[in-house]
Amino acid sequence: MSMNLIPGIESTGSALSAEKIRLEIIAQNIANSNTTQDASGNVYKRKEVAFEEFIKTPERRTPGYVDENLYQGVRVTDVYDDQTPGRMIFNPGHPHANEDGMVEMPNVDVSREMIDLISASRAYEANLTVVKTSRRMAQQAMSIGK
Amino acid sequence: MAQVLQCFGQMAVVLDNLYNQENYLISKKLLDATHLRHEALSNNLANVETPGFKRRDLPQSFSVELRRAVDRKDFRRVKGLLPRSAEDRQAKPVRMDGNTVQLDEELLAMNRNALNYEYLSNAVGGSIKELNKAIRGRV
Repeated sequence: MSMNLIPGIESTGSALSAEKIRLEIIAQNIANSNTTQDASGNVYKRKEVAFEEFIKTPERRTPGYVDENLYQGVRVTDVYDDQTPGRMIFNPGHPHANEDGMVEMPNVDVSREMIDLISASRAYEANLTVVKTSRRMAQQAMSIGK
Repeated sequence: MAQVLQCFGQMAVVLDNLYNQENYLISKKLLDATHLRHEALSNNLANVETPGFKRRDLPQSFSVELRRAVDRKDFRRVKGLLPRSAEDRQAKPVRMDGNTVQLDEELLAMNRNALNYEYLSNAVGGSIKELNKAIRGRV
């Protein structure tokens, strides 16, 4: 295993894709904030992503290599449903109402999703900045002695 | 033929000495350290949203040991020093989930580190350029 030409690009790349998945899930939540029935016939439940740090330790250490850990960044381990019950509203004419005339609304709180959206896009931007810095560093490394 | 071979042998010794120059050795070691630090910092930024993540960095002890070795003119030690990142135990969690990464500080540290990298790669490249100039005999 050799040293990367562009330093830290694997961590940053994994973070960009993980944050993108998070942004997509948030968009899905907002889009379904009024969906009372999903594909399986139940009310839509808010989805959340679980992040996990991901480190690959090589089986055999390369002599002279500077670190024992090869950073791989972050990965999405799970996309799970938030099981908190949704708000019940009385609407007997609704096709998804139960026998008491109540309809369960999705447990999506749009303002909370907006806050998550901001923090996810900030994290995405920060990692884009890292890509630029890494690229510049690689260019400098390649121009050594020129 | 023997003369040519001997000449090559001497040249190797000369080049070896040039590559073992103090400044060249130290800047090369520091360049390795900044490269590693960049990897650690970009990993921290990648995990800015990971619950319970502890930030990692190049420990202070590396620069202390390097400085000590340089002060003692112990260049074998300088060569043998290997930079390693470690968990930063001084960083306190600022969020509920125990994550110790602070976005602004991390970006600031990364920019400073990148500038150090630029300076050091110029230093390393400079000595190679000088050597090239000496070989060609013209600017």
